Amino acid sequence: MTILASAEALRAKKVSSLELTNDALERIARDNQRLNAFITVDAETARARASAMDAELSHGIDRGPLHGIPFAHKDLVYTKGIRTTGGSRIFAGFVPDHDADIAIHLNNAGAVLVGKTNLHEFAYGITSTNPHFGAVRNPWDTERIPGGSSGGSGAAVAAGMLPLATGTDTGGSIRIPASFCGVTGLKPTFGLISKRGVMPLGWTMDHMGPITKTVRDAAVSFHAMAGLATGYVPPQSADIRGLRIGLPVNYYFDKLDLEVAESVRAAVQTAAALGARIIDVKVPDVDALNVIGRVLLLAEATSVHREHLLHRRTEIGADVRTLLDQGRLIRGSDYVDAQRLRRIYIREFSKLWSGVDCIFTPATPTPAPKIGEMTMKVGGADEDVRLATTRLMRAINVLGIPALSIPCGFTKSGLPIGLQILGAPRAEDMILRVGAAIEDATGVVGRRP
Amino acid sequence: MTDWKKTAAALDPPIPEADVEKLVPVMEALEAAFRPLQQKLTAEDDVYDNSCIG
Repeated sequence: MTILASAEALRAKKVSSLELTNDALERIARDNQRLNAFITVDAETARARASAMDAELSHGIDRGPLHGIPFAHKDLVYTKGIRTTGGSRIFAGFVPDHDADIAIHLNNAGAVLVGKTNLHEFAYGITSTNPHFGAVRNPWDTERIPGGSSGGSGAAVAAGMLPLATGTDTGGSIRIPASFCGVTGLKPTFGLISKRGVMPLGWTMDHMGPITKTVRDAAVSFHAMAGLATGYVPPQSADIRGLRIGLPVNYYFDKLDLEVAESVRAAVQTAAALGARIIDVKVPDVDALNVIGRVLLLAEATSVHREHLLHRRTEIGADVRTLLDQGRLIRGSDYVDAQRLRRIYIREFSKLWSGVDCIFTPATPTPAPKIGEMTMKVGGADEDVRLATTRLMRAINVLGIPALSIPCGFTKSGLPIGLQILGAPRAEDMILRVGAAIEDATGVVGRRP
Repeated sequence: MTDWKKTAAALDPPIPEADVEKLVPVMEALEAAFRPLQQKLTAEDDVYDNSCIG
């Protein structure tokens, strides 16, 4: 059941928060052995909290659409009294003495925390094949990765364990799992959701956001996570007539799996059929933005984890250790130059918004790769899985603009395909409206693993 | 271009030799892509801050 459907059922007294929470816990108990989406489940606290939320509703206290809704935090988010591992052996026993801001905000919104989801170690990777807590598996094909780094969150929502899980996104870590798992992921404008109390990876590119089954659920979750009292939820039959949708004529469709290209172009046609205007756009050099993003992230992540790398090296997984070593090789002057180049490209990219309201791109160039694959064929050529998977997303973290990933179709073999919708800074409501219109028109969201 | 093996060995502590080999091709490719971008920069180009996003 979606958040909004559950919220309606709660208020109609057709279901209680305790029943919703027990249902989530039963699904987790049934499916987590297969998917490994959770590192920690706290059933007792969740049930107590759900009962308290039921009591509030019965006394007329209504905190809004997330009141009584079970959810999970990515295990990068500090939760007071509940261990927060960051997917790392180093933090395997770490129990924060305070909540992250988003934990406070979701708590204030009445949501019921049931557990912490598995992730790529330190959120530094896209496979969620975690060497310490085991590989997260994709509910659509358990031989495949769910994407990452918020892989447990994506898998949990896709499998129907929960209607909401939080994610973080430094180079695609919300949108990649959303694309590979066939769910919705929103990376808002940089800084709109507080990062305080979330283990950092790259301070100038870390974003927080929701992973949900539907776009409207993402809208209500986003506003709650940002601590906004009220928020826009796209109406039924969201009107996108006359909206100017940019379709890149360069880069984004150059090296793609054929089924991904077909599905995303079909979504563009759907938008046109709903009355949107499709406008060709030439985007600035995305390869350059990706290079800038890599230089920034290598340096920032090594700054975050330098002490762990130097003093607890053998406790870090091989892939993350390699990236942290690379970060030690980035010169200070190169990091500063990358931040200077970033300003130039942000200025160039922002000019696009005078001609279009949003931009459609594929979310990932391929559907989910298999667990353990290091390279994959994309458009006939071999590519490194990590670089290929982040190729259409990393630049967006450099730009800091909002981006929504929604499912827009499936491959013949039944794997989800993601559409990415980009907007100008603080245009979350607009891209959510467009996303809801596409979601309603395609009907893809009704399909289950 | 940078001699990455030498740079890795000069760090304190150095990156273990066994781990350096796999870093070299990645760093070479990244440097090859990054150096031409730096040529774009002029003295007028300030560093990024959050206000750049708009």
